[in-house]
Amino acid sequence: MIESRQLSPVELVHIYLKRIERYDGILRSYITVLAERAVEQAKIAEQEIAKGNYRGILHGIPYGVKDQLYTRGIKTTLGSRILQDYVPDHDAAVIERLNAAGAILLGKHNLHEFGKGGTIDFPFGQPRNPWDISRTPASSSTGSGIAPAAGLCSGALGNDTGGSIRWPAAANGIVGLRPTFGRVSRHGGLMFGWNADTIGPMGRNVFDCAALLQVIAGNDSRDALSARVPVPDYISALTKDLRGMRIGLIREMTWVEGMHPAVKGAMEESVRVLRSLGAKVEEMSLRLAKYAVPLQMMTTDADVASVFLKKWLRTDWDRFDKGTRSRLATACLIPAPIYNRAMRARVLVRQEMLDALKNYDALITATHLQPAPSIDKSKETVGTVSDMMERVLRRRISTWPFSGANVPAIALPNGFTDDPLPMPVSLQIASNPFSEETVLKIAYAYEQATVWHKRHPNLDFTTRQLTS
Amino acid sequence: MKVGIEHVRAMTKAIDLTIPEDELLPVAIRLSALLEIMEKIESELGDQMDTVDPVPPVFAEIARLP
Repeated sequence: MIESRQLSPVELVHIYLKRIERYDGILRSYITVLAERAVEQAKIAEQEIAKGNYRGILHGIPYGVKDQLYTRGIKTTLGSRILQDYVPDHDAAVIERLNAAGAILLGKHNLHEFGKGGTIDFPFGQPRNPWDISRTPASSSTGSGIAPAAGLCSGALGNDTGGSIRWPAAANGIVGLRPTFGRVSRHGGLMFGWNADTIGPMGRNVFDCAALLQVIAGNDSRDALSARVPVPDYISALTKDLRGMRIGLIREMTWVEGMHPAVKGAMEESVRVLRSLGAKVEEMSLRLAKYAVPLQMMTTDADVASVFLKKWLRTDWDRFDKGTRSRLATACLIPAPIYNRAMRARVLVRQEMLDALKNYDALITATHLQPAPSIDKSKETVGTVSDMMERVLRRRISTWPFSGANVPAIALPNGFTDDPLPMPVSLQIASNPFSEETVLKIAYAYEQATVWHKRHPNLDFTTRQLTS
Repeated sequence: MKVGIEHVRAMTKAIDLTIPEDELLPVAIRLSALLEIMEKIESELGDQMDTVDPVPPVFAEIARLP
């Protein structure tokens, strides 16, 4: 519509700015809104398009990014009091690419501090789930999950080390893709999980995520672990025919004791839909997947903590959120021999998944075993070992094994609970390294055969909760 | 292995990190839980772990240097 000039980028930016003004005082998805800058960029885009210089599918499209990605001359807080005034002097590689594509940066999204889950007190406002504001919008790309769901931007970029794109996508009823590690440059993202951090798209539907990924994917010499793998045409991969595809449903990451009945029902129905589209779906087992969460906490968290110890833990302990500092301090104390043994175990857990992917085109699970819980229940306060098992480890079981293997995984809505304020639940699809087109293809086919992506929160109704 | 607050106090001192007394317990609990799980992992996978290198989960496509 923008290319054919039926829709003006300037009008579109104004629509989002009005919605942000109206709803974001309650939802708190943004830390920084770049109103004037976005309008200026939109005017430029409009002029370029009018002159016939249409740059492509994202030209004139307003987007937001997790405030973990560097933006030149614009505050980048990491959701932390420690960096509340930090202004980088360069853009992240993904921001450069979106700028070059003509996309319009609308603002920086709220997040769990430093992109670590478990923030208890949010310095830039308590983010709320647009479907029910008493519930969490999940961690850690929190605002990047809320904003597309609430119609406060066209799409977003998040960061996913463990499940930080997919859980907010699931909790807010949108689509979120963790790409293969190495597919998208990490340059300019303040992230220290050096072999697990990924940057990926979040949007209202699979097409939007494919369009964002198309622009941000590709090799970048400034990221030492950026892959030299050609980027396929993701948009053309979006077909509705799954005939001949083999899909494995992972028992240990889906049929888990305590899963919510709506999640169970949605998964059963999803299998039926995928089969109706021609896919062969069968249950399979990954017996080591249960170890992925603690192993990543003993390794990736320790990698991250090693940087934070030097930078801020020793000097700025009180300025960290209590949840963040407790998790980081724990990771600082992982003994080196344990770290080494955990890395060896990770090799085995990962290999089991990669071996399974030799037999299947994709693996599926529920993205999360529960719909988004209340904000109170989501807080990772740890007073007992049982708290640690339930609040910290168990809730990550569906997403982290794919992160540990560093394979691409997408989350998309596959149903709703029957609560008075129905909450979205989500399907997760993963595939072989660098097979983003496969997860996008399956997700698109599923999405087009269902209605879930067409449902949006009634913000006038849900935001009234807080004022009433 | 069960880690107590006295262990946490000593371990943090060794890395020049000072944690307020009332925040030692959550760290001890978190660390105990992780080490306890690691013991289970060792008992199930220890022999296999001896046979592999602790290679980070990055792909051959990345490691291929110019």
